[in-house]
Amino acid sequence: MMVNHAQNAQKFLSDKKMAKWHNEALWFVRQKRDNAVKSIDEWEALRQKAKEIKSHTLRYLRYYLQEFEKNAISNGIEVYWASDANECNEIVYKLIKQEDGKKVVKSKSMLTEECGLNPYLEQRGIEVTDTDLGERIVQLANQHPSHIVLPAIHLKKEQISSIFHDKMGTQKGNSDPEYLTKEARKDLRKKFLDADVAITGVNFALAKEGAITVCTNEGNADLGASIPNLHIACMGLEKVIPSAQELGVFTRVLARSATGQAITAYTSHFKKPKPNARLCVVIVDNGRSSMLHSNIFNALSCIRCGACMNTCPVYRRSGGHSYESVVPGPIGSVLNTQKNIDKYASLPFACSLCASCDNVCPVKIDLHNRLYIQRQEAIKHPEFKTKREILKLSAKIMQNPKLFAALMNIYRRVGKYIPNWIINSKYNIWAKHREMPQPAPKSFAQIYKEMQNEQR
Amino acid sequence: MSRDKILSNIGDIIKPLKDIDLDIDRKSFNDKVATFKQMLQVAGGRVVEVNSLDISTIKSYFLKNKNIIDTTKQFTDTQNAISGKEYDITIIEAKFGVAENGAVWIEWNDRYPRSLITLSEALAIILRQDNIYETMQEAYNNIDFEDISYGLFLSGPSKTADIEQSLVFGAHGAVELTIFLI
Repeated sequence: MMVNHAQNAQKFLSDKKMAKWHNEALWFVRQKRDNAVKSIDEWEALRQKAKEIKSHTLRYLRYYLQEFEKNAISNGIEVYWASDANECNEIVYKLIKQEDGKKVVKSKSMLTEECGLNPYLEQRGIEVTDTDLGERIVQLANQHPSHIVLPAIHLKKEQISSIFHDKMGTQKGNSDPEYLTKEARKDLRKKFLDADVAITGVNFALAKEGAITVCTNEGNADLGASIPNLHIACMGLEKVIPSAQELGVFTRVLARSATGQAITAYTSHFKKPKPNARLCVVIVDNGRSSMLHSNIFNALSCIRCGACMNTCPVYRRSGGHSYESVVPGPIGSVLNTQKNIDKYASLPFACSLCASCDNVCPVKIDLHNRLYIQRQEAIKHPEFKTKREILKLSAKIMQNPKLFAALMNIYRRVGKYIPNWIINSKYNIWAKHREMPQPAPKSFAQIYKEMQNEQR
Repeated sequence: MSRDKILSNIGDIIKPLKDIDLDIDRKSFNDKVATFKQMLQVAGGRVVEVNSLDISTIKSYFLKNKNIIDTTKQFTDTQNAISGKEYDITIIEAKFGVAENGAVWIEWNDRYPRSLITLSEALAIILRQDNIYETMQEAYNNIDFEDISYGLFLSGPSKTADIEQSLVFGAHGAVELTIFLI
């Protein structure tokens, strides 16, 4: 079944108040990003550098991955490789079993969302607790994140209050964010102290140092990893960079682009396991290595800041869930269409081609170009048959100036007599959210000709 | 084996001929210490300027009867055995600070549990004014990863804005972060 983004967006927009709030909340984050960026004169040079580092690394990806593996192992880190989501889940489960683990605390990792790790482990009797506050909220609500940086941006505090009341027994009706955050802290603190295993994501893997870098604001990755004897870090294979020197560029652009902060509160480098403990890194492919050879390979440069979502007029007005994918928004549309065009053919059209995403992307991915190119393939989807035929017909008419002029002439004459209920009926999909314009009395060609005659 | 399959799918192994040139021209800050203090406050941290440091000075900035753990081993009266799992205040010496974002670099060599950093209610961090770099690029140029097992940049206390974008300090880690600037 094809994801129907337009239909999902319509559902989202039916709650007008919520839709307005969502749009404004994300635009506020975009404005914070602008303020943070304006304070740095060399911002554009930084973006250019960030892009160059990623292009360089993708070109020499195999070398850097092997360097990372070699150096990580010499630091006492165990390195595992997974071809796909299922293998990643199997490896993680096996590692948990080796430690006889039953309780896992997890910090935010879009990769493990992509792999469906939580349900996989839960079906096997492992308790998995998401510890990022936003992710904890959506976990308790039995939902999925709607944004990669702000997982619970689709929920209002009153909804969160009622979820917490049901699941954690917080005061009914108390929706003060400070109170709710402190209650979640207390509840999760117990989970942290009880955990047998910590799972984190990876923001950057440093080839030269053989270390991984994880960025959070809450400190949940550090807290999780510092207690149990097993820390499993899952990373997509595109996360590797040459060395810590390049982090000097990425740590300057990541948080500014994401939330408008100068840097995340915690930027942590794990180079060796804790004494008498294990640190395992799982490097996951799941379609990435073939994407490297496609025409969207530069989408693998993405550092998951979410800036393209915050700025996107379509994302802000349709909500993350309307994309029905782990990564929504412009970058999500590009990645998912490439991975499964049958399912995601509507996503390249969830775009106004305004290119705002390109302008905020810290690694300068040309997202709107990619989406435009993907449309050429996506339109071939059977679901778009009618649309395709209409566009083909319009193209034929427009390629023939005489036919076009003749048809327009007819419309100018009879258009004003066609009643509104026919011309703007539900069968005219163009007129779904707008009205057909009244025909002008004269065509542009006619007016032009008349003016020429007057001048003579 | 998945490893070999993945690697061969990526392509041939090509060794880059040279490192990437990371130099970026920029104007220096007028006063990097002032910028550091300002950015730390934006990040929710507290700055205390002191001429010299002793345990009673540090204590005077926190509520009484708090359990203090000193990882700098400068102060002899706090050598409590670390047995419990949660702590009140931990004193840490930062290697350096970064002006552009108010972060401090902490190197951990596992003499103390890593959990001290996040389980403590408050962090008291000692930083010398001479050890402030302007940007993260400068900062990374001055880190030697050779002897580090775990190292982190900390910028203010733990925070979250996951509920309606309202900023709350103390999401999971330290609720308070005070930098004693010498």
